[in-house]
Amino acid sequence: MKQYIKPPKKWRMPVAILLGAFIGLSIYLFKVSNATSYLSDAPETCINCHVMVPEYASWNHSSHREHANCNDCHVPHDNMIHKYYFKAGDGIRHATMFTLRKEPEVIKIKEAGIEVVQNNCKRCHGFVNENISANNWNIKDVHSGNGKLCWDCHREVPHGKVHSLSSTPNVILPQQKIKTPDWIKKQIENRK
Amino acid sequence: MEKKRKSWINWLIFAITAVVVFSLGMLASSVTERKAEESFVYKPKVKLAEWEPRNEVWGENFERQYQSYIKTSDTSFRSKYNGNAMIDMLEVDPRLVILWAGYGFSKDYKQGRGHFYAVDDVVNSLRTGGPTGADDGPMPATCWTCKSPDVPRLMSEMGPVEFYKGKWAGKGHEIVNHIGCADCHEPESMNLTLTRPALVEALERQGKDINSFSHQEMRSLVCAQCHSEYYFNKKNKFEEGVPYLTFPWDNGFSVEEMEKYYDDIEFKDWTHKLSKAPMLKAQHPGYEVYMTGIHAERGVSCADCHMPYKTEGGQKFTNHQMQSPLNNIANSCQVCHREETDVLVKNVYDRQDKIIENRDKLEELIVRAHVEAKQAWDWGATDEQMKDILQGIRHAQWRWDYAAASHGGSFHSPVEIGRVISSGIAEAQETRIKLARLFAELGHNEEVPYPDISTKAKAQAFIGLDIEKLKKEKELFKINLLPKWEKLAKEREDKWPVKRY
Repeated sequence: MKQYIKPPKKWRMPVAILLGAFIGLSIYLFKVSNATSYLSDAPETCINCHVMVPEYASWNHSSHREHANCNDCHVPHDNMIHKYYFKAGDGIRHATMFTLRKEPEVIKIKEAGIEVVQNNCKRCHGFVNENISANNWNIKDVHSGNGKLCWDCHREVPHGKVHSLSSTPNVILPQQKIKTPDWIKKQIENRK
Repeated sequence: MEKKRKSWINWLIFAITAVVVFSLGMLASSVTERKAEESFVYKPKVKLAEWEPRNEVWGENFERQYQSYIKTSDTSFRSKYNGNAMIDMLEVDPRLVILWAGYGFSKDYKQGRGHFYAVDDVVNSLRTGGPTGADDGPMPATCWTCKSPDVPRLMSEMGPVEFYKGKWAGKGHEIVNHIGCADCHEPESMNLTLTRPALVEALERQGKDINSFSHQEMRSLVCAQCHSEYYFNKKNKFEEGVPYLTFPWDNGFSVEEMEKYYDDIEFKDWTHKLSKAPMLKAQHPGYEVYMTGIHAERGVSCADCHMPYKTEGGQKFTNHQMQSPLNNIANSCQVCHREETDVLVKNVYDRQDKIIENRDKLEELIVRAHVEAKQAWDWGATDEQMKDILQGIRHAQWRWDYAAASHGGSFHSPVEIGRVISSGIAEAQETRIKLARLFAELGHNEEVPYPDISTKAKAQAFIGLDIEKLKKEKELFKINLLPKWEKLAKEREDKWPVKRY
């Protein structure tokens, strides 16, 4: 086995160089793609790709902003393994589509995502609407025409009615820190 | 035993590796490219300078927000008590003239219109007088602080102390843009930001880190920069004698806590012309009162009701026409409260009616106390005899003003405002009992007649104000000095290029 892995003497140099390039490039890719952010729940992660900005912006102008981030609704929360499995699957599909420039002008949620979101509506709002029969519906009922999804009625929650890549032209992308002007900071420093 | 690998296999491995590395490189470059796209997709039209005070320049980047913002010029809405029409409050309630005798507010006090008029109205107000030059007039430069995005521009240039220094007229040529974008927004990120040092310093003194506030809290704090109680602190740490704008929040927000703060430093805004009491003027403690109300407790911000979200062409954005929510019930109240419009309006008016009923009562008592105190002086009362009485008048009127000046307070926090007014009534009556005893001591036992102050003119005549003279001075100022300010401002702004991408 060893002989297949270990390059012969005269090849060692080029192999070392190529491997270096390979690993260096991988690290670079890791860095530019902001890869570690994908492990977090920060909504800003989702706008690493700018096609998600309209979704981010509409959520950021909604009351859900205060209580739920993207992952609270869009990934399953029944168990850790399912959560990351789903997140990885979604992530790889998104990344592929985005890289191949295959993103549609209007992004629509897929079948698997519908189920996840519906379950997450129930997860938080279970108490509020426990007396509503809607809460007893599952995705199968909806498909067989015996029920509705939450957002069949609550149509604008939380992303509004209109979705398209060009629906939020004036959005300024978030920076996490609230900045105070430097001259005010200086004032306070001077006084201390 | 080493077996020789065929050389084509080596070449194959080489080729595969090269292809993989090449693909990785392509992927990395694609990521970089698409990241770069972002800055073009969301590229604004104009590059905003850090201090850009011209709202119309910001408006090129944020048309919807700007278009809704300039609607603050609309003055057609009147609710039962407020709205955005200009109401001469001294006409509506001439008692105010007596309460503020010896202070600028007795000359002229109008219900504020929209942000759009911030500069116009402070220029037109008789309170700012008719200065003839940079070092003339009754008011300090500090009065500009809340009127314009030119203020952070100047403060960042010269520092706040220099800004507060001198007369109001000294900065007139510098301040021409009405309250706007740069007062609350940071041009780079459009993040909400605090541009007025008074609030930042007050929060710091309370031990709060300004960078720790959530976006939702910032949606109220940017308003609190101006819609708060303040005073001009001439004994500030920076430079003695400069009226440094300060919030009296060190003990807390409540009417008693601020009163204690002022009493401890023996501060007074003015000496009352009739009673000689060391008076406090409450200036719109809007934020403080709102913080004691149920909406604040439930996490509702100022912007949620005064700047509700709006949809246009399928785009949701914050409506920047700050106004009374009564003019937009559907997008303010009804987002949470599923009642009919007229029911909701009635709920608001009920609270206002009930509060104003007692507020008027308290007003009358304080007017009486001032007049009676003046009578006591006329009958030869001594400083010693008057000391407690004057302190009582000070406290009673501070409570009245805290309630009256906190526009919307009777809705924001009806229970607290009700409590404040009740304590004011107790304070006022307590003081009048002392006055009655003093009268007895001085050998008098009759009612001091309530003055005839049925109109603004009568009330102003009663306190000896020559309004005609003030109006004439203002007129001359508008003919002689104001055009010079405007000319200088135009010359300055013409030199600022608008950088378009």
